[in-house]
Amino acid sequence: MDTSPPSSAPSSAPSSKEKKYDRQLRLWGANGQNRLEQAHIALFGATAAGCEVLKNLILPSIGRFTVIDDKLVEEADLGINFFLDQDSVGKPRAERTAALLGELNPDVVGGFRSDNLENMLSHTPELLDPRTTEFTHLLVMSPVPTPILLQLPTGIPTFFVNSLGFVTTLRIYSPTHTIIETHPDSLVDLRLFNPWPELSALVLEKTRNLDVPESEGGMSDHQHGHVPYVLLLLKYLEDWKQLHDGHLPGTYSEKTQFKSMVMDKMRTNVPGASEENYEEAIGAVMKNLRNAEISSETKEVLDNPKCLNITSESDDFWIIARAVKDFTDSNNGFLPLSGATPDMKAESHGYVALQNIYRVKAHSDAAAVEEIVRDYMNRLQHPHRDQIDSDVIQLFCRHANFLRCLNYRSIADEYSNSNDEHNKAVLAALENWDAEDSLIHNYVALRGYQEFYTSHGRAPGDTSSEDCDADYDEIKRFVCQYLESVGYTKGVGVRCEKMLKEVVRAGGGELHVTASLAGGIVAQEVIKIITQQYVPVNNTVVFDGIGSRTQTFEL
Amino acid sequence: MAIIDTPQWKYLNRILSRKGPFADDDYDNEMQKTFLEHTKVFGAGGLGCEILKNLALSGFKDIHVIDMDTIDVSNLNRQFLFRASDVGKPKATVAASFVMSRVKGITITPYYGAIQDKDQDYYMQFKIIICGLDSVEARRWINATLVDMVDINRPESLKPLIDGGTEGFKGQSRVILPTLSSCYECSLDMLTPQTAVPICTLATIPRQPAHCVEWASILEWPRIFKDKKLDNDDPGHVQWIYEQALKRAQEFNISGVTYSLTQGVIKNIIPAIASTNAIIAASCCNEALKIATGANPFLNNYMMYTGDESVYTHTFEHEKKDGCPVCGDLASDYMVNPEWTLQEFIDRLKEKPEVQIKKPTMVTERRKLYYQGPPQLNEQTRPNLVKKMKDLVDNGEEIAITDPGLPFSLRLNVIFS
Ligand SMILES: [Zn+2]
Repeated sequence: MDTSPPSSAPSSAPSSKEKKYDRQLRLWGANGQNRLEQAHIALFGATAAGCEVLKNLILPSIGRFTVIDDKLVEEADLGINFFLDQDSVGKPRAERTAALLGELNPDVVGGFRSDNLENMLSHTPELLDPRTTEFTHLLVMSPVPTPILLQLPTGIPTFFVNSLGFVTTLRIYSPTHTIIETHPDSLVDLRLFNPWPELSALVLEKTRNLDVPESEGGMSDHQHGHVPYVLLLLKYLEDWKQLHDGHLPGTYSEKTQFKSMVMDKMRTNVPGASEENYEEAIGAVMKNLRNAEISSETKEVLDNPKCLNITSESDDFWIIARAVKDFTDSNNGFLPLSGATPDMKAESHGYVALQNIYRVKAHSDAAAVEEIVRDYMNRLQHPHRDQIDSDVIQLFCRHANFLRCLNYRSIADEYSNSNDEHNKAVLAALENWDAEDSLIHNYVALRGYQEFYTSHGRAPGDTSSEDCDADYDEIKRFVCQYLESVGYTKGVGVRCEKMLKEVVRAGGGELHVTASLAGGIVAQEVIKIITQQYVPVNNTVVFDGIGSRTQTFEL
Repeated sequence: MAIIDTPQWKYLNRILSRKGPFADDDYDNEMQKTFLEHTKVFGAGGLGCEILKNLALSGFKDIHVIDMDTIDVSNLNRQFLFRASDVGKPKATVAASFVMSRVKGITITPYYGAIQDKDQDYYMQFKIIICGLDSVEARRWINATLVDMVDINRPESLKPLIDGGTEGFKGQSRVILPTLSSCYECSLDMLTPQTAVPICTLATIPRQPAHCVEWASILEWPRIFKDKKLDNDDPGHVQWIYEQALKRAQEFNISGVTYSLTQGVIKNIIPAIASTNAIIAASCCNEALKIATGANPFLNNYMMYTGDESVYTHTFEHEKKDGCPVCGDLASDYMVNPEWTLQEFIDRLKEKPEVQIKKPTMVTERRKLYYQGPPQLNEQTRPNLVKKMKDLVDNGEEIAITDPGLPFSLRLNVIFS
């Protein structure tokens, strides 16, 4: 063997791009990164929060960004926005923020327009039409008059952000958002109550003589202490069935009995007086002894009309979902196996043999699903019928029990004051047991802010202190109207009044720390939507910088 | 007139000038603004870029920063004050000069070194300490130091410590009032225990790709290269480990050894992104702003942020731990099997996440139990390792433990089970 460590740059070493983005590739992989690099984000309103969101998206390398803003930089902007400097004062804010943000990452293409949302919607609507636009995602910074919110396009994912004093809210809208890679804590699915023939055969082979003492020709202590716990459980479940007319231990007390049955079989005349694999088996009883069940989230996907009625225009996601549904229906209700196994005390070959049984089964399940997918695609003359990738189908099957489909209410529906579902959601939050401390009041106060701004063209409290009281009365009037419109009749409560005072106190101004925090929350959500990984909020998150907490609502 | 009354600080000034509905009754806006300007603050750690920016744009004028690291290319995906041309330079100085050139009228004093280089006199000059450190050791040290500095006759000796940390889409921020509220040490048991893989698994029966990497770095490297130290940052060294791990994995039919995994295992890499750092750093600085000005009540005392599945925060008061070795007064009770050998006792102690020791030296009032060094004392006390606990200590006797990983001396009352 060569005994000097190589000193030249090795061939399998990561590329310079992989080195730079290493810490995030570990979260969303090359797939997620590719999607990020395809995105073109439009920011409407170069506010402190807006620029902080873009900062957190430019650093991990979105493809492009465009800042749209029609203001000139004021001295006061420098006190809250890090992406403006002394030289920027008096110049267009879109241009200056785009320039200073652009310095963050040479891999990202930046641009700007001295324009605003209202003007673009009326004069250059093609720039925001989902069929013609270059933008893949819209970041819209408050304040925006309500009539403009009602005109936001519904074909593009949109993030509407409020950052005011110590309070911030984010409203997400996206066309139907489906997720395969939700990144659950574990993909393990052991099927202990439902072993398939190959697994049962392995159990027989590896647990023969398990309970025979070494002196009588049984396993040595070393072998006995290294039988993987999954095999132990499957073996003792068989024994249990023999003793219980073929029934499995389903109830809590049966599982407790089963546990002591396993414990009794453990060899105790060994160092430490216990065997780690048996300890692992006992520890897994309560969690893993159960029928393989389909999660409610996956059920929702499989029962979705988009899954039941696939056409040549369906996304690949729905075709694969339909194939998984068909597979499951003809497989006694079992989803394709994930194939993941947990680590456990075992000898190398014993562990690898077990792991392979699960992998091979997962592979064959995925192959069966793939056959159904290809069959559907051919029958539907689906345009992707020659492109669909086995890897995607395998990924889908691996995550079959963790799929998500999120349907978002449109922002127009939320602000139209006539959507029953929205009204019901607000009312429920206001009448919930935790209503007294709920952050729904932050939201309601910001609805007042929204209406105040729409009517007066300025923020409440954006004035000398003497007039604050008048603004407070006016915003409270708007809130009363709003509460009535959702059907809440108990008037403005104490916490809501305090939030209104807090809103008037800010006078429409941002605090940098709140803006920066909003920038982090929003960017996380944008990344989740773009990469189609992890689970984004549906549809509103409120952060309260006074009590340092968040709450989510579907509004 | 305070500097904050200039046009640049219009929005901050407005909020601080108006008493909020959640603020204390005795809130005095003019006094608070002046106070903010004279609040000397201290920041450090992987969240340093965000912390400096946030403090500078929150009206703090006298900011000090310590960082012992130089800039690495893998920092550029989140530490936004650094450019590719800065790689290799000290983080503290580059960050300080960038923020000072962007935000006028503030002073940032950088120090390139470890926080442990500075003594209590140094930390006594600050009003608030903010730490976004990644190392458990450094966080324990600053926590223990600040607790030790508290003198009940001098209220100004109590320095609020704001601590933040992130991992992937998750993070936490907390406010520690040394001696008054739960301290960092009180919550050590919340860390996920680092269960080391037994050497025999690595040596003879690996199951996971990580086992192969650890075999290559812990066992194979020292066997082949003797005294030459493995340098995790040397691409040649990492490549060698990767190749050995791959060979071993093939031998045992284990799949999944990649270069990236190899690096992750030997450098103990924690995923990190700009957005999570922004959330946690901003939360920490928001608390600093509220503490300095009283503009709103500050966090009591812990916020956990989880962003991987929807957004969820858990904000709660973490309780002071009875018998905390740092902020408690008494030695804590510790159950010991009298039949254990001293070595077994030490091994079990090492597994405890709330203790976190590596190379302990142990004494009782009447006996030296075990010394790591100097050599004579080590030699003299080594035979104790195989003696039973019941032959070394009495039931109820106190053991004092020092360890390079412990910023204080840990006292345990032995209770025989
Ligand atoms: Zn403590």
